[in-house]
Amino acid sequence: MAVKIIESCVNCFACEPVCPSKAIYEAKPHFLVDAKKCTECEGDFPVHQCASICPIEGAILDSLGVAFNPPGSLTGIPPEKMAEAMAELQAH
Amino acid sequence: MQLPVLNDAPAHAADKKGGCAASSCGTTDNQMDSLPDSIREKVQNHPCYSEDAHHYFARMHVAVAPACNIQCHYCNRKYDCSNESRPGVVSEVLTPDQAVKKTMAVAATIPQMTVLGIAGPGDPLANPERTFETFRRLSEEAPDIKLCVSTNGLALPDSVEELSKHNIDHVTITINCVDPEIGAKIYPWIFWNNKRIKGVKGAKILIEQQQKGLEMLIAKGILVKVNSVMIPGVNDQHLAEVSKVVKSKGAFLHNVMPLIAEAEHGTFYGVMGQRGPTPDELQDLQDSCSGDMNMMRHCRQCRADAVGLLGEDRGDEFTIDKIEEMDIDYQAAMEKRAVIHQAIQAEMDSKRLEKATKAQQHKEEPKLTTRPVLMAVATSGQGVINVHFGHAKEFLIYEASPDGVRFISHRKADQYCGGDTSCGDGESVLQVTVRALAGCEAVLCSKVGYEPWEMLEAAGIAPNGEHAMEPIEEAVMAVYKEMAAAGKLDSTPEAARASA
Repeated sequence: MAVKIIESCVNCFACEPVCPSKAIYEAKPHFLVDAKKCTECEGDFPVHQCASICPIEGAILDSLGVAFNPPGSLTGIPPEKMAEAMAELQAH
Repeated sequence: MQLPVLNDAPAHAADKKGGCAASSCGTTDNQMDSLPDSIREKVQNHPCYSEDAHHYFARMHVAVAPACNIQCHYCNRKYDCSNESRPGVVSEVLTPDQAVKKTMAVAATIPQMTVLGIAGPGDPLANPERTFETFRRLSEEAPDIKLCVSTNGLALPDSVEELSKHNIDHVTITINCVDPEIGAKIYPWIFWNNKRIKGVKGAKILIEQQQKGLEMLIAKGILVKVNSVMIPGVNDQHLAEVSKVVKSKGAFLHNVMPLIAEAEHGTFYGVMGQRGPTPDELQDLQDSCSGDMNMMRHCRQCRADAVGLLGEDRGDEFTIDKIEEMDIDYQAAMEKRAVIHQAIQAEMDSKRLEKATKAQQHKEEPKLTTRPVLMAVATSGQGVINVHFGHAKEFLIYEASPDGVRFISHRKADQYCGGDTSCGDGESVLQVTVRALAGCEAVLCSKVGYEPWEMLEAAGIAPNGEHAMEPIEEAVMAVYKEMAAAGKLDSTPEAARASA
């Protein structure tokens, strides 16, 4: 039972101080979660603290490997709109 | 009563009742004069707070604060590009120890650097340990450097006590709205009391914290500048109200900045096609706010790791690798800096006096009745015209009118094209530059080449290389008088106010 930080993490430090179990640590190329320490905030908070402050969609996964913050959920940019803009830029 | 624009006028020589001094005209007669002495003293060598000082003194930001507690629609936390200059962008995040080393290295190498700010790339107060460790050490080890901080305000009320301990006398709060409904269109979420809070509810908390923090800072005697991002169709109509509110609570300067939004930035506004304001729209809003407030017009919206005079960035000279190798004797550097600062201050004082004398002369001459004209100026500092047209990275825009000369804004010359020879649809850098000067009727620089000369003339902008090394305001007024004498100001201009 632990969350996971994956490669889209931008190393912004936001999650590290809010973790009640001190399970998150700075590492290269990105921050990591010590699965032995992570409690998924149980007993401390009703919601996962790291996933509640993380600004990057898809960077933190739950114990089943599902992103807490799916595309569009934090920026408000509809995923199809983002794909369109990226395709436009690629074309140039 | 109108408050002055904090530009440049001499305290002693400005006209006290009505009328305009050439150097200080626009919304006001005597600018810094109406500020209390204590504030004037604090800002006279701060490039970000004093238009006059920004020609002489430099600033730097250290990027020690990566975490943020809110999301803004003009910001993308993934972005990290070394070629781009805008807030929130940095090349490397520093530890407080590296930041202290870097600051001392810059202070020793660029003695005109007077101000160290922490502005991100996240929110400094969402990284209190890293931010305050940096401030604590710098106030001990480099006491001749002014410290300032810029924040979104969410954590501000909790930080005021600590800020006042570190002898930080300048704080900038970004306040884009005082109405939560508008806020919800700018801020998709905040992190507050261990929860992510979205929409109007989150925006309401943020606004309350910003206003509370502003009041607490004023109560502590700390100077507060307010930054606002102008977003057409979102908060442009609302910012005059923001200006009134923050002024009534004691903020001393309001800086309205244009939204920067391009799809390649990957921000909400960029991807969704939200446009930024035109130079005319920005100027109109700044003018409409200036009746209530000191407006700032010379902000360059610099990166969270910028180094140097406003408008320049020497960050590449001070990367972590390079500063590790530098051996700094700060005591010696401090002595040298004091001498140089004194010389700059003396030069600024004598130029102010000169400007005031000219302004007096101007007032005694018969008053013109001609229309106002915008002119672009190429300068690299010291308040004189000293850059070749082709070398200018930016132009300062001044308005000349029968009332005198006033600073309006700056415009970038090379936009997003960097060193490329073409931009987008095959438009040359030169064409982009000429387009950036739309609305201006003259451009003053130390020299202009043949090719740009023809293009400028074709665009209705008179190139002028006759005032090299002359003080900006004097030269602009001289050109204005020439234009008036030549009868060029009787008709409506071809190019004026047609800027895109």
